[in-house]
Order: sequence, then C-alpha cells, then structure tokens
Amino acid sequence: MIGGAVPQQGKLVAGGASAMLASAARLAVLLAVLLIIVQALIVVQARPQDLITGIHGMADIIRRATPPDFSHIDDTFWPALETIDIAIFGTIAGIIMALPLAVLAAANVTPSRPFYYAARGLIGFTRSVPDLVWALFFVTAVGLGPFPGGLALAVHSIGMLGRLFAETIEHMDMAPIDALALTGARRLQIFTHGVVPSVLPSLLGISLYRLDENIRSSLVLGFVGAGGIGFQLLTAMNLFQYREVSLLLIVTFVIVLGAERLSAALRQKLA
Amino acid sequence: MLEVRGLSHRYPNGTEALAEFDVSVRAGELVIVLGGNGSGKTTLLRCIARALDPAAGAVRVNGTDLTRLSGEKLRRARLDLAVISQHAALVRRRSVLANVATGALGRHATLWTALGGLPAGELEAAHRHLAEVGLDHLARQRAGTLSGGQAQRVAIARALAQHPRVLLADEPVASLDPEAAEDIMRLLRRLAAEEHLAVLCVLHQVELAYRYADRVVGIRAGRVAFDLPCAEVSREAVHRLYLSEAA
Ligand SMILES: Nc1ncnc2c1ncn2[C@@H]1O[C@H](COP(=O)(O)OP(=O)(O)OP(=O)(O)O)[C@@H](O)[C@H]1O
Ligand SMILES: [Mg+2]
Repeated sequence: MIGGAVPQQGKLVAGGASAMLASAARLAVLLAVLLIIVQALIVVQARPQDLITGIHGMADIIRRATPPDFSHIDDTFWPALETIDIAIFGTIAGIIMALPLAVLAAANVTPSRPFYYAARGLIGFTRSVPDLVWALFFVTAVGLGPFPGGLALAVHSIGMLGRLFAETIEHMDMAPIDALALTGARRLQIFTHGVVPSVLPSLLGISLYRLDENIRSSLVLGFVGAGGIGFQLLTAMNLFQYREVSLLLIVTFVIVLGAERLSAALRQKLA
Repeated sequence: MLEVRGLSHRYPNGTEALAEFDVSVRAGELVIVLGGNGSGKTTLLRCIARALDPAAGAVRVNGTDLTRLSGEKLRRARLDLAVISQHAALVRRRSVLANVATGALGRHATLWTALGGLPAGELEAAHRHLAEVGLDHLARQRAGTLSGGQAQRVAIARALAQHPRVLLADEPVASLDPEAAEDIMRLLRRLAAEEHLAVLCVLHQVELAYRYADRVVGIRAGRVAFDLPCAEVSREAVHRLYLSEAA
C-alpha cells in the first residue's frame, strides 16, 4: 500500500515543480522582452518631447505643401511610367534568372548536389544584399537612369523568387511525375507535361506578388539616382518645392494602391 | 511475356517486403494477385516496373531483363509496360483528356511534345480510351475535380494510351462502385483476350478474382503462398492468406 503511494506523491511533487518552472520561464521571457524594448528606446535616442516642439515645423511644411501643385501633373506621367516599367523589367528579368536557379535549388528535381548548393548560395546572396545597395552598385557600373534601377530589382528579385519557386517545386505532388516516368516518357517531356502544369499557377502568383513589391521598391530606387518618381521626389525636396512633393506623393499612393489591387485580383483569378 | 524470378526487396528500414518471388504471365492471360494488407503486393508491382530497384532477381519482359537496364534502354523497355498505381496520380491542373494522352508521350520524340504539346492524333485516341472506361463526357474537365473512382478510371485510360504489352494494375477497382468495378474487370479481361496483353492485377475482391482470373497468385509476407489456375483455388487457401501472422 505504502509502496504504491510513494511514487504517486513523487509525481505530484514533480508536477508542482514543473508548474513553478513554467511560470518562472514565462517571467524570464517577459523580462527579456521588456529589456529589448528599453534598450531599443535608448539606442534610437527616442525623445517624444522633440515631436511636440517639432509640431510647429511640421505644420509649416504641411501648409507649404498644400494644395498639391496639380499644374505639374503632366510632368509626373513620364516618371510614373518609368517607375512602373523599372519594376516590370526587374520582375521579368528576375523571373528569367530565378527559374533555372530554382530548378537547381529544389532538392527533388536538382540534377546534382554541387549545383544544388551553388544555386542555394547564389539565391541567398542576392536576397541578403538590399536592393538599394544593388542600385548603388549598378548606378556606378552603368550610370544614372532607369536601367540600373531595373537591374537592381532584377538581381534582388532572384533571391525571393528563387527561394519561393524552389519551395513550390519541392512541395509538389511527385506521384504524377513518377507515373509519367513509368510510361517511358523522356526527361524533358516529364518536365513540361508533369512539373510545369503542376507548379505554373503558383509560380505566376508568386511573380505577381513580386511585381507588386518591386513597384514599391522602384519608387525608392530613384533616391540613389536610378530614375523614376523617386528621383523626381528627391529633386523637388532639395528645391523645397513642397507642393510638387505632395503631388508626387499622391501619384505614388495611386500607383502603389493600384498595383496592390491589380496584383491581388489577378492572383485571386489564378487560385 | 512477363517473367519474374527470385525477386526480393528490402526497404531501407529493414522491412523485408518481398522474398524470392516468382510469377509469370503469358500474353493473353489475366493473373490476379491476392494477399492481405502489407503482404508485399504494391512492392511487387513497383519492383517489376523498376519504380523500386529490387535487391535481387530478374524481371523479363519479352525476354529482356529490366533489372539490368538503365537510362535510355530502360526508358524504351518501359514503353511495353503500363502501370496503374494504387493512387491515380493524375496531373491535377490538366484536363482529363490531356492526362490520358500523356500516356502516349514515350512514343513521340518531337519538339512539340518536348515543349508541352500533345499530338492531335493522340488526343483523338484519348477520346476513344476515355470512352472505353465510360468517361468521355468528362474529357474537358480538370483532373483535380474528379471523384476518386473517376480518377482511377482516367488512370486506366492513360495506361491504354500507352499501348502496352504488359499491364500491371494495383487495386484498379479499389474506389469503384460495383457496376464500374465489373466494367473495368471486363475491360481487363477483354484486353488480355483480344489484344493479347499480359495482365497482372492486384485485387482485394475475392469474388472478382474467382470470376475473372485465369490464374490466381496468393502472396503472404512477401512470398508466393500459391499459384494456381482459377478453378483449383480453394476458399480455404484464400482464407488462410488473410489470417494474421500470429494465427
Ligand atoms: N517505403 C517503405 N518503407 C518501409 N517499409 C515499407 C515501405 N513501403 C512499404 N513498406 C512495408 O513493406 C510491406 C509491404 O508493403 P506493400 O505496400 O507492398 O503492401 P501491400 O500488399 O500493397 O498492402 P496493401 O494491401 O495495404 O496495399 C509492409 O510491411 C509495409 O509496411
Ligand atoms: Mg498496396
């Protein structure tokens, strides 16, 4: 009897200890999160009072920026088109480079291990270098204008597209592919008749999403001299033409929202 | 036509799924394999088709040993051997008709088929094969929208498009209603008798086996339990196949 009761008591004690341990762990996590927030406030030198004293300056800028200078709307057409086309060029060139890399970087279809690691490495590298850095690099290489912007987006897109394409290929249902191989179909036929139709809708969806992101990036790339609305915005700011700045911000807003809506609608259609 | 000798397979985790298995199927013959769950039936068919590499043994189709082939020679040998797997394995995003026609790809070496196209003649033939399994009215539908039984019949039509000499079928009527199951068994029977195919078919429906088989092979724990003309298979022998190992 006693022999039976003792281990039970042991279990109870162990249960109490683990409950205490769990609440201690929760407290530790809470403290850690607080610590992280406090150090962030200190490091960024957050001074809310400056915001209040700065209200005057901000009100002044807003006053000088209104109403937006719509007389210049004609002049924004070309930079706007440039911004969108930089994104389109960057996305398409990115897709063309990402596709073969993704095939090499998908564990289930890669022709060999060395290719797999090389492709993974390249994809990781292009993604980890920010598009602004790529833009600076290409502006130095090929000069100012929209072309270096397009190149920057293309190279940076390889990273995200390559990774998501490879993941899509890896998660594909292999049964139909294997069945096709057993019929005696050739490798290329298995690829075009089995792999491509299985993954194409997902790849298109990912690409549309990337186009949307690239349009937003392309707006900023102008700041480093890579053409488009961003360049226009930078110039207007440097010349203190705040009414033109506000016009450009409105155009930016319309482009971003339009791209987002269009991309979402098209992706819905694909699903 | 199909001759399997001493076929053995062990999975990487140590399971000995197939041991010294012998079976042969002549042209025009319908041989049915009966056996309990996990007895090695799927492993047998997959080893024959070289979807798995058997550890030992020979698989001769028309005298050619498949286990010794690789690359282009293996691909060519596979043209004669159609597999209807336990799960339909269709390309879900493509139409039923296209799925059936892909069964014929191996016979075509054109740029058009390499780029994802299907020969017009094969699409026409695919309509006929779909009619044979009673599904021509679904030709334009996406394969992903089919019911389980419909998908299985499309997979059978795809095997027909391949024009095989040997047909391996793993539970081809598993998810079919009784009428459709009879239709498919009659079709397999007719393919053997009229087109001189060698048909090796795994079933769980003992009654269908009695009704349609020329020969019945019993498999238990990866070994041949019996291999007899249909008329000589006793109910007792079949019953023993499904008793648990312990009994
Ligand atoms: N990929 C695998 N890895 C390890 N063991 C496996 C694998 N596939 C099958 N097995 C084992 O091999 C044995 C035979 O499996 P198999 O699929 O050939 O049986 P089956 O006769 O087709 O059964 P069922 O009637 O359920 O379809 C089983 O014991 C199974 O657990
Ligand atoms: Mg099975």
